[in-house]
Amino acid sequence: MKTRANILCLAAAFLVATAGLLSAREKPASGASLDAAAPVILIRNATILTVSHGTIDKGDILIKDGKIAAVGGTLKAPADAVVIDATGQFVTPGIIDCHSHIAVDGSVNEGSVSVSSMVNIADVLNSDDISIWRDLAGGVTTANILHGSANSIGGQTVVIKLRWGQPAAKLPFEGALPGIKFALGENPKRSNFRVSGAPERYPATRMGVEETIRGAFTEARDYKKSWDDYNKRVASGEKNAIPPRRNLKLDPLVEVLEGKRYVHAHCYREDEILMLLRVAKEFGFHVQTLQHVLEGYKVADEIAAAGTGASTFSDWWAYKVEAYEAIPYNAALMTRRGVLVSINSDDAAEATHLNQEAAKSILYGGLTHDEALKLVTLNPAIQLGIEKRVGSIDVGKDADLAIYNHDPLSAYAVVQKTLIDGRVYFDREKEIAGRAALEKEKKDLLEKAQKKQEEEKKAGAKKPEEKKAEEKKPDEKKSEEKKPEDKPKPPQDDAGQGGAQ
Amino acid sequence: MKRLLLNFLGAVLVLTLLGPGAGKAQTFTAGDIAITHAKIFTLAGPPIEDGTVVIHEGKIAAVGAGIPIPAGAQVIDAKGLQVYPGLFDPVTQMGLSEIGAVNATVDTTETGSFNPDVTAATAILPSSAHIPVTRASGITEVIAAPASGGFDSRGASNLVGGQASAIHLSGWTAEEMLINKHAAMVVDWPGIETRSFDFSTFSIKEKPFADAKKEYDKQVNELADYVEQARHYAQALQSPGTGFQRDVKLEAMGPVVRGEMPLLIFADRARQIRDAVEFCDKQKLKIILAGGTEAWKEKDLLRSKSVPVILRPTLGEPPEEDDAYDRLLTQPEELRAAGIKIAFGSFDNSFARRLGQNAANAIAHGLPYEEGLKAVTLYPAQMFGLDAQLGTVETGKTANLIVTNGDPLEVTTDIRYLLIKGQLTSTDNKQKALYEKYLSRPKAAR
Amino acid sequence: MSWRSVQLRLRAFVLLGAWLGLLAASAAWGQGGEPRTFAIRGAKVVPVSSAPLENATVVVSHGIITAVGTNLTIPPDAWVIDGKGLTVYPGLIDGFTDVGVAASAPPAPAGDGGARPQQVVSRGPEDRPATTPWRNAADEVNPGDPRVETWRSAGFTTVIAAPKAGMFPGQAAVLDLGGERAGDLVVKSPVAIPVSLQAPGGFRSFPGSVMGGIAYVRQVWLDTNWDTQADAIYEKNPRGMERPKYDRSDAALSAALGKHPVVLIPGNTSLQIRRALRLIEEWKLNAVLYGGQMGYEVAPEIAAKKMPVLVDLKWPEPEKDGDPEATPSLRTLRFRDRAPSSPAALGKAGVKFAFYSGGITAPKDILPAVKKSIDAGLSPEAALRALTLSPAEMFGVAEILGSIESGKIANLIVTDGDLFDKKTKVKIVFVDGRKYEVRESLRPSEPPKGDLTGKWKLSFTTPQGQEEATADLAMQPDGTLTGSVTGDHGTGSVFSGWVSGDKFRFAINISLEGSSSDVIFTGTFEGTSMKGSIQAMGYTFEFSGTKPTRMASLQAGGAQ
Repeated sequence: MKTRANILCLAAAFLVATAGLLSAREKPASGASLDAAAPVILIRNATILTVSHGTIDKGDILIKDGKIAAVGGTLKAPADAVVIDATGQFVTPGIIDCHSHIAVDGSVNEGSVSVSSMVNIADVLNSDDISIWRDLAGGVTTANILHGSANSIGGQTVVIKLRWGQPAAKLPFEGALPGIKFALGENPKRSNFRVSGAPERYPATRMGVEETIRGAFTEARDYKKSWDDYNKRVASGEKNAIPPRRNLKLDPLVEVLEGKRYVHAHCYREDEILMLLRVAKEFGFHVQTLQHVLEGYKVADEIAAAGTGASTFSDWWAYKVEAYEAIPYNAALMTRRGVLVSINSDDAAEATHLNQEAAKSILYGGLTHDEALKLVTLNPAIQLGIEKRVGSIDVGKDADLAIYNHDPLSAYAVVQKTLIDGRVYFDREKEIAGRAALEKEKKDLLEKAQKKQEEEKKAGAKKPEEKKAEEKKPDEKKSEEKKPEDKPKPPQDDAGQGGAQ
Repeated sequence: MKRLLLNFLGAVLVLTLLGPGAGKAQTFTAGDIAITHAKIFTLAGPPIEDGTVVIHEGKIAAVGAGIPIPAGAQVIDAKGLQVYPGLFDPVTQMGLSEIGAVNATVDTTETGSFNPDVTAATAILPSSAHIPVTRASGITEVIAAPASGGFDSRGASNLVGGQASAIHLSGWTAEEMLINKHAAMVVDWPGIETRSFDFSTFSIKEKPFADAKKEYDKQVNELADYVEQARHYAQALQSPGTGFQRDVKLEAMGPVVRGEMPLLIFADRARQIRDAVEFCDKQKLKIILAGGTEAWKEKDLLRSKSVPVILRPTLGEPPEEDDAYDRLLTQPEELRAAGIKIAFGSFDNSFARRLGQNAANAIAHGLPYEEGLKAVTLYPAQMFGLDAQLGTVETGKTANLIVTNGDPLEVTTDIRYLLIKGQLTSTDNKQKALYEKYLSRPKAAR
Repeated sequence: MSWRSVQLRLRAFVLLGAWLGLLAASAAWGQGGEPRTFAIRGAKVVPVSSAPLENATVVVSHGIITAVGTNLTIPPDAWVIDGKGLTVYPGLIDGFTDVGVAASAPPAPAGDGGARPQQVVSRGPEDRPATTPWRNAADEVNPGDPRVETWRSAGFTTVIAAPKAGMFPGQAAVLDLGGERAGDLVVKSPVAIPVSLQAPGGFRSFPGSVMGGIAYVRQVWLDTNWDTQADAIYEKNPRGMERPKYDRSDAALSAALGKHPVVLIPGNTSLQIRRALRLIEEWKLNAVLYGGQMGYEVAPEIAAKKMPVLVDLKWPEPEKDGDPEATPSLRTLRFRDRAPSSPAALGKAGVKFAFYSGGITAPKDILPAVKKSIDAGLSPEAALRALTLSPAEMFGVAEILGSIESGKIANLIVTDGDLFDKKTKVKIVFVDGRKYEVRESLRPSEPPKGDLTGKWKLSFTTPQGQEEATADLAMQPDGTLTGSVTGDHGTGSVFSGWVSGDKFRFAINISLEGSSSDVIFTGTFEGTSMKGSIQAMGYTFEFSGTKPTRMASLQAGGAQ
């Protein structure tokens, strides 16, 4: 069943009807206008899982101007502050999903060519995708929106905050470095499907995947050189130099070479993991994260030595050959060997319970409570280069928080509120209370539309009747005798064919 | 040709990979076993503190506090631990599929619309890596259901997909694993496909509703006709005339039309559920509903016809954009409160170990804890008529038990001891073995 | 004698005279020597560029509006049309369509979205998939396109047409919907470069995704700019420089852009509109948005960018005969409910907008769609402007089209009521000063219960007495009637003739009292006799007819 999601998240994207229409749940649950300044919020009396400096039993959090202003103890707040009574509840940093395909208009894959680095997820962010809302309700505040895995070198990627209700332009995480997606293994070499009507696409082997990457970076290196040469000539006063053609495919690869763009590489098998690390070394670029990396546990030392992060699943396996040796101990084992590990979803539904998935690493591999929580908070923040702003509950960081009714590392925890930039974007109580109004609105619109349709039908029926009034009476009699479902029968049996034949 | 070669190589790969994990997993101890000083959740009464379970010849011989331990019994001191019935996953492809993408390892769905005679037990691979992995999470028995939908079905639409078999997750051969070879007849209720993804052109194909509905009605009628045929065949079989020709397929429908074998009908949308229930009512066939994504829309009907429902994982996506985000999570309690018997199924093999987690999530959204636990133990056993042997910790039942360090539905709980058919079964599996192997990999040279 | 009967007699006398005198006239008419001067007298005139006039006259001559106003002197050679009860509007303009452009497209490298396996697979932007910017509507005009007539009959004299299909399908031209030879239709070209972001390729061919389409278009603009730059430098001093490669698409776009057309960028939902605004700014285009149906949500943002919008009149609707158990989502319902209010919202925010037929295929549905936007808050004046002067302004032809002003091209429509009233019919259309009568296309379609072919003797009683005429008719198997009617007032060709069951209707057009008049015969027939009524000039006479039985061949097949 998960085979579809993994090999062909491409197919799933096709089926998602993203017409880009504003969703029913337009405003954040707090009701405050999105344009107004965020109120001062005081979260009272919660168990605070800071992630960075331990757990605070029964403490407060003060939020001002969208940032965490104070943590712990009993805090004072201005009279007009919004007070959230979190007695008995647990506050954690908002979950950061390091591998997500939500909020994309159209396919997440430019699956036609093997190097599709010219396309950019940021161009097609879809702020109306209901998955944003659902993942928000699962405690996710930031997501790394990635291109799919159909190509050895895929498209450019973007980190977003799940600011439900905001237009697409307001979703990207300000200042987060842009990324690019690579994919190794079965998917880019199309092991498990064929596309009819086209010749077999290169590469069809893992060897070819490597060469595709090497070839593209060789081209990018030369392209960079041609621009450097051109810039030098212009700087030295040359007037008539024609600049090199801008090549949108190679521009992002040059940025990778210059360390200005993160590489997120989908991979499974131990050999292809090492291959990419080797190629990166050859061309002098850094692989920021290995994604899925289900056999990462086999080469954990090598990954740690390369300083590359690993973002993996909790317990997915066996849907493809390259996933057959996946183990739920992957995250813990790699962590113990010094790799920075996060757990991700790759799936809108999975992202609604990443807290539970992180918890599994306590059972599988013996991570501590906080180590497990880090897998979906601080670690992915560091992997995405945004740890100065999110990933833990520290003064000065963004007020991106999730409030649970239970310790989040449990199947019984339910998100009560989710805050982003110090605004309550999800409030479970308010959401449940608001359902009746939405249902009523839907019902009213359906009735209105139905009435309109009936009116139009009647109006349409009137016209031919007006015409009939001109004609002779006998016709009208006939139409009264007719039953609605009867259709006029051609006079086949009468000899009424006339001489026109 | 290339495809065949690929499949062959895939199969070879799989078989070599299966090697190491399999043998180690199935260690057995003969003789009586006594689990002592445990908190026993019998599910047939209040929990027993500091209790003992005595197992003799594969069955639970005694349960209680302060009961005598037979001489020579192997004693498992379960102080600080808990005993539960093993979990029962009533819809899986366990043993029928090894690697979803490799066709050679997938035997879930036959070709053709009517395959009542094919039986899951025939194709279950006892050494499948999925079995030790799944039971390590506390699942002791499952129903392996052919043609249960999904990607593995290769797009073939089976109206009658074959017979689901109930198996213990332990045994050297399928025969040793068998609980009930003919547990239920799988019916994949047709759907109305107005939009479908065409893999050959990699695009969405649209079909007008009227055409899709016609197609749907045609298939439902075909099913009705087939049942009619089977009835007549069953009758004729009782006193066959000369020249009567036997038909293995129609014959396989015999127990169904006689009301002995239930239909396990996969239906998710309201229309499908409604039509399936009304069909069985009219045809006087027993039905167990599997899927039930929109069961809440038809709960009155389901209750009035006493249809048991096996729900898909609660941690899935609601089908409609306007569905409440927690629709699937609140549905189990909504159905239970309406008087409908529910169970949870994984509908998978590699995700079967999430069975408890799915139940826990439903509990977190209103389902009473004991109901949630029973929905993965006693209720599926009852649905398949196996509650005389399974589903609770009671004397006389088969000793399929788990000894845990906590709530078996919680994601962090460890299964310390596993008993299947009264035998202590190792929780080792392929994944544990790989973990241990690479745990002890010496630090790589820089 | 009552005054009334005096009137009648007078009228009949004039009628008689006119009929008698008409032989020559009707014979001459339609055989070259077309009248080139017309005057519509005593009508309500809605110029759009100024306030409506009552009881006014419009004079057109040789394709140009020569005078508009009250108390005008009508040139003696003008064909005068009595405008009593009629309203004259500027000819309507469809802001973006492919009406009038040849249907068959030259083979394009990439196809239509995966329905057929493609011949050529595109491996990247350099293969220029679905790109044919060198095509120009002006070079591919098809006057025989049946939609030319149907659009015109619905009141559209002008379209902004471009070839369809592809991401850069070709350049748009302003076409007038009338003329015999292709060149006659072209008013101005190129006026626009339409762009589509529909990526046809799927997994087979680049681009196969929306982001792929955007990246592709982005690369094309970069390449075009580069080519323009590089060619200029190369031309000045080619020695020592590598020759810039020739790219047909870039060359065509570069040349077309030099003529300062607008670039049409799609954006229908808020998401798409906002994205389009960003891309237009990034690409520094002189652009117009097309789609615009969620304007109700983003009108201020569009106004802030001073972006004109072409609004698609195919409002989102529930699909016919969909699944009765499937409920559309709330946001779909909201969209359907609010979309027609977009034009009003755009207007209120100060956005310049015009209408285009968009997804509408039957032109009779266009004005009712506009009416929906009026019902949702758009003023009728603004609606009319969006069908006339605004599109003219958008495409740079406001000097010659879009309103009834002296000196502009004589594109007019004459209706029998308010344009947006559903009972109103377009009676006459002027395209480039040529007059087109609008025929009633409404006909029921039962199979004929007999054959009307043959020579029928008709007799009828006018106020001045008995008259006779002969109707020489030919009936097609599907009931279409052609032929002619000859009588005391001349001969007229049959048009709009049909037979349905035992009913029939046909019309002729002859000049009565100095103006062209439709004379309509409706009735029933049985075997060789028919009866019915004749309508002419607002009067109705009964008539009856027989087909002489000596025409024995007509009896074959047993006509009753």
